[in-house]
Amino acid sequence: MAEITEKIMDIIAKEAKLDRTALTLDTRLDSLKIESLDLVQILFAIEDEFEVYVPYNDESYKLETLRDVVDGVNRLIGEKQAETAAGQS
Amino acid sequence: MTGTHRVAITGLGCIAAPGNDVASFWGALKEARGAIGPVAAVPHDKLNIKIAAEVGDFDPARHFDERKLMLLDRFAQFTLIAARQAVKQAGLDFKAGLGRETAAIIGTGAGGMNTLEVAYARLHGANGNGATARQIPLTIPRLMVSAAASHVTMEFGITGPSFAVSSACSSANHAIGEAFWMVRTGRARAAVTGGAEACITFGTMKAWEALRVMAPDTCRPFSGGRKGMVLGEGGAVAVLERFEDAKARGAEILAEIAGFGMTADAGDIVQPSETGASDAMNLALKDGGLNPEDVGYINAHGTGTLANDVTETRAIKRSFGAHAAKLMVTSTKSMHGHTLGAAGAVELVAAVMALKEGVVPPTANYQRPDPACDLDYVPNTARPARVGAALSNSFAFGGLNAVLALKRAP
Repeated sequence: MAEITEKIMDIIAKEAKLDRTALTLDTRLDSLKIESLDLVQILFAIEDEFEVYVPYNDESYKLETLRDVVDGVNRLIGEKQAETAAGQS
Repeated sequence: MTGTHRVAITGLGCIAAPGNDVASFWGALKEARGAIGPVAAVPHDKLNIKIAAEVGDFDPARHFDERKLMLLDRFAQFTLIAARQAVKQAGLDFKAGLGRETAAIIGTGAGGMNTLEVAYARLHGANGNGATARQIPLTIPRLMVSAAASHVTMEFGITGPSFAVSSACSSANHAIGEAFWMVRTGRARAAVTGGAEACITFGTMKAWEALRVMAPDTCRPFSGGRKGMVLGEGGAVAVLERFEDAKARGAEILAEIAGFGMTADAGDIVQPSETGASDAMNLALKDGGLNPEDVGYINAHGTGTLANDVTETRAIKRSFGAHAAKLMVTSTKSMHGHTLGAAGAVELVAAVMALKEGVVPPTANYQRPDPACDLDYVPNTARPARVGAALSNSFAFGGLNAVLALKRAP
């Protein structure tokens, strides 16, 4: 869990050219003023790192803080593991 | 041979997902019959976005013999099929001398993407085949962006100014606008012009997916709940000639191109700009000698992305002021998908038919108002309306804007 959080923070800092040390779970996304192309790169990197598919415009994700992003990625990882397990049974 | 001439459209041809000729295409649009569905060209297991608007019921061998087909990427096939329809309707014979004074200008965003994809698959050994450095000999002449324009010249014996225009999703409007200006200023006596695109391939679908502007459900331009664009494919071609020539030979004038405006945003590579789009509309009106109040219909760029539809709505208000509320603004991409470099040509067919038949095609798949998009989008049902003038908007990635102004034939 902590490892996932660290990786997500690394990705966001790298792709959006932000100061990594300034990012916390409570940081609000809108305060980071991430440009749309950087956002696309962030999502791409998250998909690559965690081998998940981030759905488009899914209204069931409320993304306001970095904690929401971490929770969302954990949810995607959980769903994928459940799918894989279901496929094996 | 200089001066200023009015420019008539006397032929139209079209092949796109809703129909493989103008009559069936327009018939579908009038009935709000969209052609977006499960993509057939690409296996679904590696796609996250599994829908597109593909040309259906299409057997190239019914249109071209084997020798010709070898030379034609799918985008060039679409171009020639549409061009044959348009030239037949116009009833012009270019081989009898007119060809020397005729331009062939065809827009496309990507050119021969199907050919390119096959070539790379061979090279890298995709699809379970071993890699081979040997390429199909006709790869280059099939994939070049200008191949479609060249084939139009060869098909009809057109020997005047001929080239391709590429400006992403504005390609066809830039091509048609340039052809229009050539005929108007006397640099060409007639023109065969339009656009084509055929890039519903595995590689292109994945690349568009990665940009995250594609809707997983359908295309709902200007609607609340819209989720993005849907890729389409196809081609459309118009025959342009001097208004007085068309009159003199008794040709049916389908509509008149009155003006053309183009601008560049000089802003962002993907984000649209309100002022760039608005300025292009203003220039098209001015070039056509039209007042904003003369316009009754706008065939919008209307991609269905969150960003485009809000920005385009603001741009229309900026150009038209209070008259914006009286305009009918529709995006036929809701039915034929975003045909990219062909969009301006495919949508020219919709706009010309709207003027000619007095029916404005709807914005299909419209669910509910979006507070940021508050114009009359003619949701879901076509509307009978006698319109004197119309605009057709194309606003490309990279901020290249091109707008055509059309007038109903007198």
